[in-house]
Amino acid sequence: MAKILLIDDDVDMVEMYKIILTHRGHKVTAAYNAAEARALMKKRAPADAVVLDVMMETATIGFDLAREIHQKYPKLPILMLSGVRGAKDLPFKFEPDETWLPILKFLEKPVSAEVLGAEVDSVVSKK
Amino acid sequence: MDTLNILVIDDEPGMRAGVARALENFTVHLSDVASEVGFRVAQAGSGEEGLGRIEAAPPHILLLDYKLPGICGLEVLDRVAQAHGEILTIMITAYASLETAVTATKRGAYDFLAKPFTPDELKSVIRKAAARIVLAREARKLAREKRQVRFQFISMLAHELKAPLAAIQGYVEIVRNRQAGDDPAAYEHMLDRCLIRTQGMSKLIYDLLDLTRIESGQKTRNLAALDVREVASVAIEAVAPEAAERNITIDLQIGGPVPMVADREEIEIILNNLLSNAVKYNRPQGRIEVKARLEEDKVALSVADTGIGMTKEERERIFADFVRIKSSKTRDILGSGLGLSIVKKLVLLYDGKIDVESEPDAGSTFTVTLKASPPARPAETLME
Repeated sequence: MAKILLIDDDVDMVEMYKIILTHRGHKVTAAYNAAEARALMKKRAPADAVVLDVMMETATIGFDLAREIHQKYPKLPILMLSGVRGAKDLPFKFEPDETWLPILKFLEKPVSAEVLGAEVDSVVSKK
Repeated sequence: MDTLNILVIDDEPGMRAGVARALENFTVHLSDVASEVGFRVAQAGSGEEGLGRIEAAPPHILLLDYKLPGICGLEVLDRVAQAHGEILTIMITAYASLETAVTATKRGAYDFLAKPFTPDELKSVIRKAAARIVLAREARKLAREKRQVRFQFISMLAHELKAPLAAIQGYVEIVRNRQAGDDPAAYEHMLDRCLIRTQGMSKLIYDLLDLTRIESGQKTRNLAALDVREVASVAIEAVAPEAAERNITIDLQIGGPVPMVADREEIEIILNNLLSNAVKYNRPQGRIEVKARLEEDKVALSVADTGIGMTKEERERIFADFVRIKSSKTRDILGSGLGLSIVKKLVLLYDGKIDVESEPDAGSTFTVTLKASPPARPAETLME
């Protein structure tokens, strides 16, 4: 069992991921926006892994959050959920650089229950 | 100030110097694009030298003598038209016959100057060419911006359509594979959520059609006398069931008829959007007040709620396409993010404006002020 922090502004996505991950035996905490996520991060070690959506309040807030999380907890693995196939689809400029580093893996939405479950399991088992 | 480069190719040094002198401190003011243009003049004494200079640094405008030693003017013109189509070439000739003009124009010359010419004649030709260059540049810039806006809009739209699809797909997969345990209620709940998200997608598509119909001018506008009070009471009926579910009371505080000339559908869309927001962003047991009154030649229409309200920063963002306020308080509220952009565009058709007053946790009041007898303008004027 691991503690997973889910950050996504879509209530249904959060609910669905919660169902999937809880069934795999994980304990899930959810944040629905950056403010909630930041509040949770103030506590010590908020989770064993973070699942984070790119587009929430703004189109790039997920990247900002990833950077903040990484700065505070450099060893905390981050899985990024993204509705785009890559930088070329983004409606804003995003040049891949060292800021991608804290992100362990990009999962292209929609992410199926199996894929998300397997990815999270693989990340937390490595810890 | 913009500077345009001019190259003069002429074998008479006096002619070249004269052109350079005439244009030295000459500026053109283009009021259409609020731009001031000056000129930098370079010289070449032969076609060969001129072509070399063009290769090294293509000018914006080429003043080209027809009769040159070595490579002749028409030959230079041909080569320039082929390799540098963007250069505006003005032919200078002592033999100002119609025939030469036609030949040169056919081969790509932009304009003509007959020798001998006065500095004013030169300036007039240059002014025309400069205006053309700057306006073309401006048009390209606008086209580029338009493409960018369109790309952003489509990207946002794709995201807004993908989000509910992902939710529906995910739920259906969980239901199909029975991944949520044995409680049937859990599955029913997921199917209910699928239906809600499907409705959200339909709403988005309808809003999108409204928006593009308004913007493209495809919507037929039927301006006729109507009573805002009557339209408001019909709009209130439409949101009444949703309001009743959360015990929200809606008060129509309009004493008598409020006459105006308007397209009924447009006023309905404005009211429906404002009322729908007032219900969605209200608290249970909240209140909504709808007011309308004639103020001289305008109708002021307001919808006030006792809901979650907005901060100043949020108020400034809400009229843009696909913007929805995301916070812990709005988490469960669905919407297309297009309602207020639609309202804002419609209000413009009535020479009107939309204002919002709001305080977090106290509520918001949206007020639209519309001309009571608006001009019968087609909707496509919005695009300009």
